[in-house]
Amino acid sequence: MRPLLHIEIGARTDLGRVRKNNEDCYLIDSSLQLFVLSDGMGGEAHGEVASNLAVQTVLTHCRQGENSRATPIFGETRPDVSERTNRLASAIHLANRKVFETAASNPEQRGMGATIVAAWIDAQRLSLAHVGDSRVYLLRAGSMDQLTADHSLVAEKVRVGILTPQEADASELQSVLTRAVGTNGSVQVDTDEQVLLVGDFLLLCSDGLTRMVTDPEIASTLLTSSTAQESADRLIDLANENGGVDNVTVVVLRVIEKSTGIFERFKIWKRYSG
Amino acid sequence: MSRLVLKFETATLKEVPLGTRPVTIGRAPDNDIQIDNLAVSNYHARVYVEAGSLVVEDLNSLNGSFLNDIRVERAMLKDGDAILIGKHEILVDQANDATHSLDALRKAPVPRVNETMILDTHERRKLLDAAVAAGERSQLSPERFRIPTLIVSRGNTDQKEYRIASKLTVIGKSKMATVRLRGWFTPEVAAQINKHEDGYYLGRGHRLPKINGVSINGLTKLNDGDVIDVGRVRLSFLYRD
Repeated sequence: MRPLLHIEIGARTDLGRVRKNNEDCYLIDSSLQLFVLSDGMGGEAHGEVASNLAVQTVLTHCRQGENSRATPIFGETRPDVSERTNRLASAIHLANRKVFETAASNPEQRGMGATIVAAWIDAQRLSLAHVGDSRVYLLRAGSMDQLTADHSLVAEKVRVGILTPQEADASELQSVLTRAVGTNGSVQVDTDEQVLLVGDFLLLCSDGLTRMVTDPEIASTLLTSSTAQESADRLIDLANENGGVDNVTVVVLRVIEKSTGIFERFKIWKRYSG
Repeated sequence: MSRLVLKFETATLKEVPLGTRPVTIGRAPDNDIQIDNLAVSNYHARVYVEAGSLVVEDLNSLNGSFLNDIRVERAMLKDGDAILIGKHEILVDQANDATHSLDALRKAPVPRVNETMILDTHERRKLLDAAVAAGERSQLSPERFRIPTLIVSRGNTDQKEYRIASKLTVIGKSKMATVRLRGWFTPEVAAQINKHEDGYYLGRGHRLPKINGVSINGLTKLNDGDVIDVGRVRLSFLYRD
């Protein structure tokens, strides 16, 4: 019997101090331990349509995949990652198609798109898939690492050595993406896997957080809050205190303990037999 | 006097002073700045003075003209701006211009990019070309064709050698582990190795591993020949042909 990790969840989305509407979106399926976050783009609130559609599509496709193994996989199948990770990538490929087709059939929605980050926990393995510049961080033993690579112009320039990280932070072009969900017929999805340990923190966030709050501030907030929800609330407050220039969304996950007690075995049995 | 400086990578190819006459740029030989490259149209762009300011204008070229990475049809220029045509850069140098101070007060309309925008595929390809031209590594590194391998030199493991084939490689006693450790006090997950686009990164699990004797600080990239210590287990990370 695979040990289930007990995950404490905290999440919050906020308009910020400048924007007129919230184009960020997140969805959580706590029984599946699936967490999805999206930051929409496109004028006139079409970003909201894009991010909502993206997140819903990912959730629905992953649920379908769990219910029926015959659910098709969209995009290529990767041999170096698990079935779960492949399913997550497939969900994002499908979301891309849906947003793209919706935009194509409604002239005023042309060009709408969204970022997406999805995290799915299966026993001790974390599956990650993402497109865009929303991020996932892992905080373990006091040290925080960004797990996702930003698909933004400035980040790509830093990766090939044209810009330094400092120049990137000061650049006016920070919000120019190189990849997004829904702006092209096909998209390249990045995937990753991690083992999760008790005591780990995972943070999914839109760039509204990281533009306003530094990494050390994020880490210390996670470490000094007493619950995941408190972390989420404090991070949003920090982003707003520092300007709140964009919508900001955070999902905080804390790995509390492994449970293989009688009650947990019952829950697992119910899930796989229902 | 202002001038335009034609560059390719780090090499300066030509300097053209800017007078009252417009400066034309293109592949045809009668251009003031001739760029002999298939990506450049015969008459690609021109730079001229309008009401005391420098302006660049694209002449309906096939591949476009880019001002500081934004595709433009017509835009005002200021000192230090870079116009990208094909793979060549044309820099605006007004350092010696007598009227420079006046120009500095006049703000050039740099495209406002507060809203999130997506870079189209053409521009992305251009960015990657620039990376290749700049001789940058990784995408073309020979490491791509060599197989990452872990060789055990000390410790209680199930094999002596492991090929890294997955995105996630776990070192520990867990059933998920590729490098299965044995021993009563061995943790489920001692350490892990992640494959990223640009290489392999070692991260901690229940143990804090060392690379070449130094404890790591967060996810750390592994280089060919690095020695990894995880508890009492010692592994060498190698790229094998």
